[in-house]
Amino acid sequence: MNDDSALGTVRDSLTAAKDNLSETHMDTPLDAIVQRGRETRRRRRLTGVTGAMAVTAGAALAVTTLVPSGQSSSTSGRVASHAPRARLAAWTVDIRANGDITVNVRQLSDPSGLQSTLRADGVPANVTALGHPDPSCQPYPMSQALFTSVYRADKTAASGDTVLIINPAALPSGAGVQIGATVGQDVAGRGLRRADANQAIHRAVHQPAHQVGARNSILRAVLVYASQQCTGS
Amino acid sequence: MEFAEFYESARDDCLQIVLLSVGDRQLAEDLVAEGFAKAWVSWRKLRNYQAPRAFVVRAALNANVSRWRRHRREVGLDGHDVAVPAADSGVLSGELLAALRGLPLRQREVVTLRLLLDLDTETTARLLGIAPGTVGVHLHRAAETLRSALPHMARQEARK
Repeated sequence: MNDDSALGTVRDSLTAAKDNLSETHMDTPLDAIVQRGRETRRRRRLTGVTGAMAVTAGAALAVTTLVPSGQSSSTSGRVASHAPRARLAAWTVDIRANGDITVNVRQLSDPSGLQSTLRADGVPANVTALGHPDPSCQPYPMSQALFTSVYRADKTAASGDTVLIINPAALPSGAGVQIGATVGQDVAGRGLRRADANQAIHRAVHQPAHQVGARNSILRAVLVYASQQCTGS
Repeated sequence: MEFAEFYESARDDCLQIVLLSVGDRQLAEDLVAEGFAKAWVSWRKLRNYQAPRAFVVRAALNANVSRWRRHRREVGLDGHDVAVPAADSGVLSGELLAALRGLPLRQREVVTLRLLLDLDTETTARLLGIAPGTVGVHLHRAAETLRSALPHMARQEARK
């Protein structure tokens, strides 16, 4: 058998295999693709200006660290600056100029504080202790594409910490976020080592709970149906 | 052509091609979505491109490699919590597809562009930024591997 004939056979076999998938359709809506494209473009622009921003970021960090814990460094609604809106003992919640919500984990405690803060920022949210599911919450069916359009992990330019980023604009109508953490168990009351916190967020985003069991996780993120009982709205 | 029109016409085709390469329905959808998102970002330039589908498929295959590298680093930090495919992921099987997925990325790109998207050698070479002769070499090597995975071909080889 010559090369062309062998190539033809391989081509025919692959084409037949593809034809078997003719009933497989892409479910992701155009809006989700466009949203993801906007994020990609924003990330590229951010990367492009990182060098120019370094000095400014350093100055901003110096100012931020002077703000005592428990105080908000901004009192406006949707924040024009990138200063944290809520500084909690366990979590720092911040709103970025594009509307993304960032959650910085320092200690896996105070889930109700995090829940209140997220809801106050307009995110239908439910925060629970892992292993203690809220019976009023029902899982929202999600594809990987939907999951990654809502949740992602990002390394902050200033501290190098990994933060959990929630994109409320990508939430489908009727859906809310649910974050579970191992609180009240072995890590309760203890601060997290920086590497552990970064790893927990990476795991929650890159090995989402709908794909792997949460048995060994200390942080998980899923989507749930929004309701007054579950997510507050 | 507007992006929405392109997406509508190419989405299923791109998904099916990437699914052949990665074998997992959910993962393929995510990778193709990533590929289309990149195409959306570059659409002004890409709309006049000879083969925008090839751009999407190639971006999806590259995203899979980046994803695998990320995952490898995470597992390296701590051995437990290894991801398992979801029960309804629609994992494809077959020796040919296993062989396709085992090909080095460049060979897989060439096979995908030449055999599944039916691009000619020149266009494939331009897309991948390699010489046409190199396309031929990759295709030849990939075809060797793939045909040995076809049961009836393997039998013929054994008789020789």
